[in-house]
Amino acid sequence: MPLEAVITNCYILVSVSPLDVLRTDHTFGKHTRTRTQTEEERMFGRRAAQLCSELAQNDDDRLRRFDNDLFDQVIEEANEHYHQLETRMVKMQQEGLDIETTQNRDYFGALIHHLSLVRNKRCLMSYVYNRSQSVQRLRWQLGAVLPADLQEKLNFSEKEFFKNYSDLLGSYMTSIDLDLTVDTTPPKDPYIQVRVMDDLGEVLLDDQSTTLLRNSIHLMKRTEAESLISQGLLEEFTG
Amino acid sequence: MGEDGRGAGSSFGTQDTDFEWSQGHRAAQASSDVEIFRRVWRNEKAAPEILPYDHLLLQRIREQILLMEDTLSTFTGAASDELTLSMYRMDIDRTMFLLRAYLRIRLLKIEQFAMHILRTEELWERLSQQEQDYAQRYIDILQKHMEQTVLSKLPFGYQSMLRQATSSEEDDMIPEPTLDTFVFCKSKEPIGSLQLDDRGEEVVDMLTDDLYILRYRPVKRLLETDRIELV
Repeated sequence: MPLEAVITNCYILVSVSPLDVLRTDHTFGKHTRTRTQTEEERMFGRRAAQLCSELAQNDDDRLRRFDNDLFDQVIEEANEHYHQLETRMVKMQQEGLDIETTQNRDYFGALIHHLSLVRNKRCLMSYVYNRSQSVQRLRWQLGAVLPADLQEKLNFSEKEFFKNYSDLLGSYMTSIDLDLTVDTTPPKDPYIQVRVMDDLGEVLLDDQSTTLLRNSIHLMKRTEAESLISQGLLEEFTG
Repeated sequence: MGEDGRGAGSSFGTQDTDFEWSQGHRAAQASSDVEIFRRVWRNEKAAPEILPYDHLLLQRIREQILLMEDTLSTFTGAASDELTLSMYRMDIDRTMFLLRAYLRIRLLKIEQFAMHILRTEELWERLSQQEQDYAQRYIDILQKHMEQTVLSKLPFGYQSMLRQATSSEEDDMIPEPTLDTFVFCKSKEPIGSLQLDDRGEEVVDMLTDDLYILRYRPVKRLLETDRIELV
């Protein structure tokens, strides 16, 4: 498959409006018409763009469920692009045309499919990558165990990634003998007043065992309080 | 940095139990190491790329923290007043924060640019042994994740994590830091005229303690030779 020829001639695309090529590209149009209706939705890469715009809705690190449906559709689209690309290449070869120099509609059709495929790939990867960054942040915020409601928002591979990342971070922190997940804000006072959010029972703090009852207020070391605060078991008491 | 002789032959050791806080020259030395480290941290925080890891400095800082902890526990045993104790505690906490924040910001950069760092020897050498292990393993798990979710489902020829397609001429999917980003920098000594572009049309004359907002690329070398600091 002489794709090199396609990519080296990429600059030619500048002089060709992609829409012109799309209009001549009847095969692909027919194929997708069954799934999408409007002209706009039939545009290549539209679904991939939708996938990426979902990332923007993950505000406040509130992760949304992995969009399997849309994701698979984009994958399918990518494979369809490849199929179309291959068909055109084979056709050109059968016609005995030199792929390096010929610039007919099959050539530009193939080029468009190649570029659309690559664009879909980038969108898919950025969707997965950006989600993996949120998954990493969860490890920093919540520790090695994910609550069930978050678990179900991740897909299989993301759960595995979380576990691997958690192990990785854990073994790094062991190797330098330092817990990096605490102490995230510059300390103003070594002690902090906290309110207990729930009955926690006996807790070992500063080598002393203390009973933390709901709504009770304690003065404790900031370093010890921080991990409990980030887990939502305590809150800083400012009143 | 850190090789300026001020602390390289540190007299600190964890065995040094009769350490006294008030002892003049030692106190001065203690503050200077932490001070250097604070600058190193600020530089690391402001620079877009990863900066060299100073093993000796980091080692001294960690020894110092241990020593301070030691001293503090001796004090706690004796009946000394609460205020003094909490001041010492505070001092340790601040240094600990600095240390953690420093290592955290480095990890963040390593994660972000792991593949770029791995293929650039100069950057790779800037990591500590543990950070190198971390970078390597991080790439492995990210790659595995990417392959499972995306890459294995794509057509042949489009399955590389580093290239858009096998027909790409080079690895074109590796994120790199933006070295042309702007940084606040302060000169520590007279720099003279500093050329900001290739053609020599933009030149800035920096004196001691001048504060400028400049692109990172032209001041990179000055930062490496410790003639400026980022703020």
